[in-house]
Amino acid sequence: MTGPLAGLRVLDYCWVGAGALVTKALADHGAEVIKIESVKRPDNLRLAPPYRKGAEGLEGSGYFASRNSSKKSFALNMSHPEAPAIARRLAAESSVVTSNFRPGVMDRWGLSYHEIAAFNPSVIYLSMPMQGADGPHREFVGFGSTIAALTGLVWSSGRPDRMPVGTGTHYPDHVPNPGHALVALLAALYRREVTGRGEAIELSQFESTVNIVGPSVVARSVDGLRPTRDGNRAPDASPSGVFPVAGEDRWVAIAVETDAQFRALADVLNRADWAHDPRFATLADRKTNEDALEAVIAAETRRSEAAVLVDALQARGVPAAAVETSADLLSNPQLAARDYWSRLDHPVMGSIVVNRVPFRSVPPEGAPRRAAPLLGEHTREIAASVLGIEGDAYEDLVAREVFV
Amino acid sequence: MAAHPRTDREPTESLPLRPIRVIEVTDAYGAYAGRLLADLGADVVRVEPPGVDPVRRREPLVDTPQGPASAFGWFVNLNKRSVALDLATPTGRDAFLALLADADVLLESWRPGEADRLGLDEATIRAVAPELIRIAITPYGVEGPWSDRAATDLTTLAAGGLLSLGGYPDAEPVAVHGGQGLLAASIFGAVAALLGLVGRERDGVPRRYDVSAQEAIAAALEDAIPQYDLTGRVRRRAGDQPREAGTGIYACADGYVSMVAGRLGTARAWKALTEWLVEERVEGAEDLIEDRWQSFPYRQRQEAIDRFREIFERFTRLRTKEALYLEAQRRSIALAPVNEVADLFVNPQLVARGFFREVVPHELGRPVVVPGRPYRLGDEADVVLAPAPVLGAASAGAFPGAGNDPQPAAAVAPGRHDGPSVAAAFHDPAPGGAG
Repeated sequence: MTGPLAGLRVLDYCWVGAGALVTKALADHGAEVIKIESVKRPDNLRLAPPYRKGAEGLEGSGYFASRNSSKKSFALNMSHPEAPAIARRLAAESSVVTSNFRPGVMDRWGLSYHEIAAFNPSVIYLSMPMQGADGPHREFVGFGSTIAALTGLVWSSGRPDRMPVGTGTHYPDHVPNPGHALVALLAALYRREVTGRGEAIELSQFESTVNIVGPSVVARSVDGLRPTRDGNRAPDASPSGVFPVAGEDRWVAIAVETDAQFRALADVLNRADWAHDPRFATLADRKTNEDALEAVIAAETRRSEAAVLVDALQARGVPAAAVETSADLLSNPQLAARDYWSRLDHPVMGSIVVNRVPFRSVPPEGAPRRAAPLLGEHTREIAASVLGIEGDAYEDLVAREVFV
Repeated sequence: MAAHPRTDREPTESLPLRPIRVIEVTDAYGAYAGRLLADLGADVVRVEPPGVDPVRRREPLVDTPQGPASAFGWFVNLNKRSVALDLATPTGRDAFLALLADADVLLESWRPGEADRLGLDEATIRAVAPELIRIAITPYGVEGPWSDRAATDLTTLAAGGLLSLGGYPDAEPVAVHGGQGLLAASIFGAVAALLGLVGRERDGVPRRYDVSAQEAIAAALEDAIPQYDLTGRVRRRAGDQPREAGTGIYACADGYVSMVAGRLGTARAWKALTEWLVEERVEGAEDLIEDRWQSFPYRQRQEAIDRFREIFERFTRLRTKEALYLEAQRRSIALAPVNEVADLFVNPQLVARGFFREVVPHELGRPVVVPGRPYRLGDEADVVLAPAPVLGAASAGAFPGAGNDPQPAAAVAPGRHDGPSVAAAFHDPAPGGAG
């Protein structure tokens, strides 16, 4: 095994959202991530579409597969009275323990940081509660979308004349929360390498997400304003918008930051006359007349193919990009050239596509090593290699529904 | 095994990166990466061009006695030091290489070929800093046919696909607020730097990373990629048209609430929700406890989505987002207010946890509120915040040997980089420490 994290073992109680992406990044970089779940209580994401047709069920979720590459699955029925002791033995042999349950769940199993640190003082312990382990709202439940709503990200996203829309996704689960958790976790791992000492990390998903509206937090604390959402417009660019192009529901994003870029845009759209139009002369003029500006641009872009228009604008240094759909991205030339997507063989789903972390490295590392595990696929292997449980002892634990 | 240039700075629980020095020469895509490392104790020196760094002009802007200032710049430059260097001059280039000789990590935003034009090619840098970990953070990455493309946050959200999922079905796609394409690239830039530090400590290899903002955004498409891969269906923006009854944004007396009830193991939440509405004698609520409403596929039908909204908003429009939040949570229903950013300052949970901090930007001369760190690590009281530095404030102090300067503080105007960490930041680097 290779990668910067080769040889590090991670006991993983992260299910569903943000946490699963943290441990995916660790596993793709060489860590041995042991995901604990059970047929008695599978990770909910295994029950989430999309499914490969004909493979609906615990092993057929493409959603689950997209977040669990390179991990191992250990079937351990945590509601069985013998399971917590086995989990503690796994924790004793792990460098990192992760979870994203509600506060108190890990404690009830004897898997709190303090209990594990008592026998494994160098453990790095990551928990990802929704709003933190203390405070009046510590028990509050949420999802990425409701956390985005709490932080102001949703309210600020959308058109001023309509209800807010946010990203349309559970965005905090996908970037800020796994990303910030990895930052803290890897920093603690660095310290562990230097000093040998372990540490507990708590990532409140709410607090983490507040940081990605940090500049607005700072601004509002100064000016006390409650500015409205502004669609795709931006104070420092005009036009800053998404314009229709040829085809059904096809769009191009264009952001013009300088007067020179605006003249180039006018040229590319064969409207050199705009360069002499006093309504559009400067950024301030274009901001004042933005409705009119957007209307005349949209009337011109409709005639163009997205790729042709973007290439022409880029050739003149104007920031522009087609609005890529999922289908577009899977054949996107830039992502393809950078091997962003991996094709992996899954024993039930067949060939599936999985992304790597958003960076390439020298030496090359971080690509998904194998498809997401079947539930319990590695129980026998890990029981033997980590716990020394084999033969009759293993079969007995299966029969008594501990290893299920 | 890699040496530590500054053995005088031991890692602490709260500040595990205290031994690490980072040189940052980035644009708005990379500036938050250095901030994340600075928060962890790293000595982060931002190299800025003479004149005005675009990061210090980026919106949102606020008024100060010295004119408009960038709240973005304040936020991303917290806890850093600043050096003004013109890398196009031989003096600037040499000074930059001298900085690198004593650094662990270089965060850079150069486009392909730009570093070579500056005389800062890989061989030149490696000659002075053989163990340096290099992180390039750019819109499309430095490898690949699109690496030269001009980009902004909006075009990054388009190229990464998130824009295709945002907005209303009957109008153009709408971007998420707040420069998320920039911040996403920076967050993963910091992740790359830390993988490099951990990896170098473990195997001695000084890694290079090429971070792409497009890819960071393409990682945020939820189920859209496997959906197309497995079913051939292209997911599109749904805006205010949720995919099932019980999930989405609903109007209330003073704004909106966001709710997820009935998806991914929240079947109990759907039951609790309908019981609540029945208890409150909401007109039509009795319908929701009929058998067909207990079927998830039924709740995904347009008629069910519309009917639920009609019944639920009849209830929510008479109540505030805060009242709905507290009562829904008492019933374990994942409902939250659609807050404005300013609502965060009085959020009881954030207040109780002491989340917000204050710093005094020197342009403003009075405190601003900044979010606490995105995680808790060690004792947060150990984390001292220093405001974004004045351009070039550390120009003398950042260089090797600066600690021997008879008047090292001359580089920093009093009060401009206040906080106990200053003395430690202007340390005398261990001679030859990078070897």
